[in-house]
Amino acid sequence: MGRYILRRLISAIPVLLGITVIVFAIMALIPGDPATAILGSYATPENVAKLNRDLGLDAPAWQRYFIWLGNMLTGDFGTSFSLNRPVLDEVLERFNGTLILAGTSFVLCSIFGVMAGVLSAANQYGWADRAITFAVLLGISIPSFFLGMMMILVFAVNLRWFPVSGMWPIYGDRDIWALIDHLTLPAIALAVVATGVIARLARSAMLEVLRQDFIRTARAKGVHERGVIWRHALRAAMVSIIPVLGIQAGFVLSGAVYIEIVFQWPGVGRMLVDAILTRDLLLVQGGVVFVAACYVLFNIVVDVAQSLLDPRIKT
Amino acid sequence: MMAFLRLLARNRLALVGGVMLSLVVLLALVTPLLPLAPPNVTATGDRFLPPFSEGALLGTDHLGRDLLSRLLWGTRLSLAVGFAAAIVAATLGAAIGIIAGFYGGRTDNVIMRGVDMLMAFPYILLALAIVAALGPGLFNALIAVAAVNVPFFARNIRGITVGIAHKEFVDAARLSGMSNARIILTEILPNVIPVIVIAMSTTIGWMILETAGLSFLGLGSQPPVADLGSMLGEARSALITNPHTSVVPGVMILIIVMSINLLGDGIRDALDPRLKSGALSRPMAATRVDRQGAVPAATGAGLLEVRGLETQFHVKDRVYRAVGGVDLAVKPGECLGIIGESGSGKSVTALSVMGLVASPPGIVTGGAAYYDGDDLIGAPYARLRAMRGRNVAYIFQDPQATLHPLYRVGDQLIEAMQVHQPVSNSAARAKALALLRDVRIPNAEQRLSDYPHEMSGGMRQRVGIAMALANDPEVIIADEPTTALDVTVQAQVLSLLDDLRRSRGLAIVFITHDFGVVAQLCDRVAVMYAGRIVEEGTTREILEMPRHPYTARLMACVPELGQGKRKLASIPGLPPVVDRLPPGCAFADRCPKAQPVCREGDIPLDGEGMRRVRCLFPETGLREVAE
Repeated sequence: MGRYILRRLISAIPVLLGITVIVFAIMALIPGDPATAILGSYATPENVAKLNRDLGLDAPAWQRYFIWLGNMLTGDFGTSFSLNRPVLDEVLERFNGTLILAGTSFVLCSIFGVMAGVLSAANQYGWADRAITFAVLLGISIPSFFLGMMMILVFAVNLRWFPVSGMWPIYGDRDIWALIDHLTLPAIALAVVATGVIARLARSAMLEVLRQDFIRTARAKGVHERGVIWRHALRAAMVSIIPVLGIQAGFVLSGAVYIEIVFQWPGVGRMLVDAILTRDLLLVQGGVVFVAACYVLFNIVVDVAQSLLDPRIKT
Repeated sequence: MMAFLRLLARNRLALVGGVMLSLVVLLALVTPLLPLAPPNVTATGDRFLPPFSEGALLGTDHLGRDLLSRLLWGTRLSLAVGFAAAIVAATLGAAIGIIAGFYGGRTDNVIMRGVDMLMAFPYILLALAIVAALGPGLFNALIAVAAVNVPFFARNIRGITVGIAHKEFVDAARLSGMSNARIILTEILPNVIPVIVIAMSTTIGWMILETAGLSFLGLGSQPPVADLGSMLGEARSALITNPHTSVVPGVMILIIVMSINLLGDGIRDALDPRLKSGALSRPMAATRVDRQGAVPAATGAGLLEVRGLETQFHVKDRVYRAVGGVDLAVKPGECLGIIGESGSGKSVTALSVMGLVASPPGIVTGGAAYYDGDDLIGAPYARLRAMRGRNVAYIFQDPQATLHPLYRVGDQLIEAMQVHQPVSNSAARAKALALLRDVRIPNAEQRLSDYPHEMSGGMRQRVGIAMALANDPEVIIADEPTTALDVTVQAQVLSLLDDLRRSRGLAIVFITHDFGVVAQLCDRVAVMYAGRIVEEGTTREILEMPRHPYTARLMACVPELGQGKRKLASIPGLPPVVDRLPPGCAFADRCPKAQPVCREGDIPLDGEGMRRVRCLFPETGLREVAE
């Protein structure tokens, strides 16, 4: 097992390098130069040239890439000019918020998505199946930002069950209850789409498995239908559900952008949008690379989980 | 094409989606012709008029602009951008996928590595990075959304192309001297287009959502022009005071995306042949029972007694009579063989007893199966479940597929016991070990923690037998348990079953198509053809003097060792399809002795005691046929 994890980690290195190349290439396409963006359009050409030299921007692109990469490897993601603090510090601080939000949503959508899919398949063509299928259709069709806004309107403004926005109360203790109070609405809003996608897939994976011979064997030996569904069929269906959980983790992680905006949640997504609007490119670069790298690593976790679940996978 | 559209129209939800989408698209197309207020002219005096106000059906926004007008113009823009992004992504992605799939080798490798890299990004993050580089704006948002979706298309289309590129007609085109470009355009592309359409129909909804999302973040369409996303974004600051400004564009996005999803699902279902046949239906916990007519009573002929069993498969409007009235009985310590070609209904008969026929499409339409006098066919599920494996256990063919692939065999054995008896884990484990030893699995201790894929076919079959024995059942129904095994292993498994029968007094129903196996194991034999028993008797009687022409011919098909010179016989023709059974004898069409009278009416299973045959002109001796 240890060797397998190590091998997966090593195989992630080219992917991570590829990500840095892509991000760098996209940023290198930018018309105009960052020095002008930093100094404003009234800057003198001399000052622009000097800043370019200071920032190392007069070097050829490939040199700049390796300098940037080397700096990142030593933990130096550069300095955000709009916030005037190291990019890494800002990203780490914001990523914490995103992780709490996206992590909670991911747990929610995994549990409810799989459960909905299993119930749907187990009652195929029954009323539960129809109700779940319809809910899933709504869930995957509604924009999460619109859903978030409507949830604020109903549950925060009208019913006053939850706070309108933010991660912490302005006054009062920053304890776990305050966090849950603030987290509930955004986490649900973010989870809905992924729940729908997972439920759909889980349903069809279950239907596929339920027709197989080993299910008949389980029934023939007298396993209760509950056990047939949850113990025999779901276990086998998880083999095809887990990879989709990995993909959905990516959607939840990046879909957090909208929810962070709607709920004023201090996360990396909101930081990125602000950075794009102020053209703080180092912050964008650093943020994107960091989140993408986390996602790649998370996918390794998914693969390892997969191999633990399916003994037929050679590790 | 027409057939496809008709199929699509039959799917009611897809129809609803199609109609909804057509309405929205139509509305968007005629928007410039409608008498609407100009969408971008501000009138601060009329800010936030509520819906149904004079001159503003849906009210006005924070700058006093007519919401209905902005909604329709915004819808137009959102649809245009969404469709454009889908077309760009599909075209580029398909081009990349076809090139990678068609040329293969290094080209493929380099391209697919790149695609994998792009797919390693969380989706929206990549779009954000692209917009960051190009700057906010609707056109740039379009590029970003399209670019992000290219890898998805490339990967799908590549897979299909690889499959097509090695087909004969492509080789033929190559040999006839066509250029690669022409092969791609005339041979590959037409085959790939349906896949592109499916992929588009499933992703276009996402693309409209994503463009709306970027606009919502202020990175898409810029003021004063607004698509649906930026309308929502602008309305957000007035969410609490004037929710209608948010609800209007939000609901429109929901309607568009939902109708596209409905239609997309419909298209996928219409093009996926597996769904058409209803093959994806899940089998229920027990076979459906819908008995017409009276239930025949038990006669006490055996511990397990099947009387007049009829099982049918209803697929669409066709009815397959898989089992058409079968009577069987087996006593403790006895082994009954059921023999017949594949499709003769022998497995369905066996599975019907415990309600294990997949349903849908299977239905038991008549007859009864008595266990110790109790009818199992009509039994409620709870009772049936309690008896499955406990009183009547099954051994199936192909242990590769019949054991759960992800549980250790020991755990599967333990489960078989614990669903029926309250045994502790350690006691069950000890019993499982003893069972594995009973079926003569070497190193039983270690084998307990093996997964099925770690065992050989013979070992797995022994596990299957051990599992059937786990609760000391009285009856075992073995459905071709040795068919997948090689001859030496087969012999071992047979002698094992024979021992168990003698030592435990088991009643065994043994289903096979192999007379050699019957001769070794069975006391009595029933021969099945087209869902009915055509002959029955003791094994010796049947083997020495088959009376039904079918039995005789079936036996003539068995090659005998040391008689290599004999011409290997086969039965001409095929068994009849059981949804169109002829009247009279089902074998008549293949029978050399058939007379017109054979096809006229139902022929009874006739004879003395347990020696019976369903034939008007029974054989008189084996030699006659063999020569």
